Amino acid sequence: MSQARLLSIQAECLLFFEQNPYTIENEEGLSIRLGRSLQDLSPVLERLTELSILQRLGVGHEAYYKYNQPDVSGEVLLWENI
Amino acid sequence: MSRYVSTGISGLNDVLNGGIPEGSVIIVEGAPGTGKTTLGLQYLYEGAVEAGESGIYITFEELPNQLYKDALAFRWDLRRLEKENLLRIVCISPELLMQEMSKPEGLFERIIEEIGCRRLVIDSISLFRYAAQSDEAARKNLYRLRIILRKWNITSLLIREQADDLADQMPYENYVSDGVIRLALKPLMDKYRKRTLEVLKMRGTSIIEGEHIIKFMEDGLHLAPLFRMVQDKVLAQAASSLPTGIPSLDVLLGGGLPQGTAFILDTNSQANYHYLLNAVFFERLRRKERAISLLSGMNHFDSLSRFARLFDVDLEQEIKAGRALFIDHYDRPVPPGVEKGFMCVGDMDNDTFRRTIHEKLSALVTSPDFGDGRVFLHIDLSTLFTFRGLEFVLKAFSEEVASARQVGITVLALCNFMEIPSTTSSFLERLGNGVIRTWVDGNYQYVQVTKSPTGNMSPPYLIESIQQRPFIRLV
Repeated sequence: MSQARLLSIQAECLLFFEQNPYTIENEEGLSIRLGRSLQDLSPVLERLTELSILQRLGVGHEAYYKYNQPDVSGEVLLWENI
Repeated sequence: MSRYVSTGISGLNDVLNGGIPEGSVIIVEGAPGTGKTTLGLQYLYEGAVEAGESGIYITFEELPNQLYKDALAFRWDLRRLEKENLLRIVCISPELLMQEMSKPEGLFERIIEEIGCRRLVIDSISLFRYAAQSDEAARKNLYRLRIILRKWNITSLLIREQADDLADQMPYENYVSDGVIRLALKPLMDKYRKRTLEVLKMRGTSIIEGEHIIKFMEDGLHLAPLFRMVQDKVLAQAASSLPTGIPSLDVLLGGGLPQGTAFILDTNSQANYHYLLNAVFFERLRRKERAISLLSGMNHFDSLSRFARLFDVDLEQEIKAGRALFIDHYDRPVPPGVEKGFMCVGDMDNDTFRRTIHEKLSALVTSPDFGDGRVFLHIDLSTLFTFRGLEFVLKAFSEEVASARQVGITVLALCNFMEIPSTTSSFLERLGNGVIRTWVDGNYQYVQVTKSPTGNMSPPYLIESIQQRPFIRLV
């Protein structure tokens, strides 16, 4: 997958979690909700987990993701790792 | 004693006699568009804002973002509540929820613990059926869910889609839940639809049965309880009430017959109305109030005396004291000593009759010993129709009743609407401040308050015979 496509899906994924912050879902569930294939989504989830934007809980086929909500002060986002 | 959790929906708490018993697991079922999601969100929103109780909304299909937007239409800022840790709109697949529910201290319980959840909505448990390998597995999941909710004492609404293919069977969820609330869309007149809410089951609280109308208002759902009409505030607030002598009927009437009102007792030909009528009449005498009765052909001194004794009233004494008076169209013998209690009017023409009655009532309420005493007037309208004619009744009844009410006399008129033209029964219904109906359907006798100044109507109640005074009770 090209870097541009990866970034595009990453942005979609970020927007999804920002708009639905208490989503708790496994890869398959996220793939359905975002309308993206597992093949495209997996590296994005991996990347967002590395950045601590998402948190992966559980292991193997029972793994699922939840959003690490950024600290918010008014409307200013304080993401330091992005 | 159970604490009742307010639903946050005006009217619904009245139907539930205060709210949902705390810790209950309630099924909310209905077809699309009946208001299930709004009801669930309103329950959590009001809980957070009004009671400071944290809640979780678990959505399997609808995205939280859509729910945030929909809620803003009712001015519910759900995201603000999330920031205040009073709410979570959790988006999760049913498979993952079930997987985590089965783990000790799994994700589901951690979410509950995280915000100290007191209220929970799951939208919808129908997906448990599709997500589980079998019906048995789905049933086990629901049972497991109920155990967790009970453990945490969380008052929960579990939304279920109503599917036509399951309409003829009782879903197993109904057996394991503490209550079932059904929402529906029903035809209204020819062109319209109405949304209804019916409580089919509710452990731990009494309910007002029936399909109540719910409406979307600008601040959420509002339920209009069944059997409520517009209250006549002037009568309902100003008047004291005359207890009927039948405690269960007094409850329906909000205390009794408001003083200075006119009620119609509509009875069909098979119904035994005597105990209803005599309970009211002799309760007046038991309370040392004045009672006047325009007799039917069936009532005479002997039958009245027998009923009086049943109700612990010495009729002879009451007549002598001037508290009981009977107006009789039939020329019947009266025992010596009680003649003053009977006024024979059968040979009077209509004008004389009307003038005589008017003067008698006026004399009663203006007499020096009237004081604050109450006067009750029972009229047998069938007798008036027979002796005075329809035209007389329509004209004189409305004028005389209005005049009686003006001076605080309470009127109860007995009539069989089936025996008179529908225009006349409509007129009488309109004229009366209240209507009580009693009828027999072949197996049982029923009674129902269909109009009252308090605005209260009632569902039909069975009339059951009992051994003690007043010898009937409403069931």
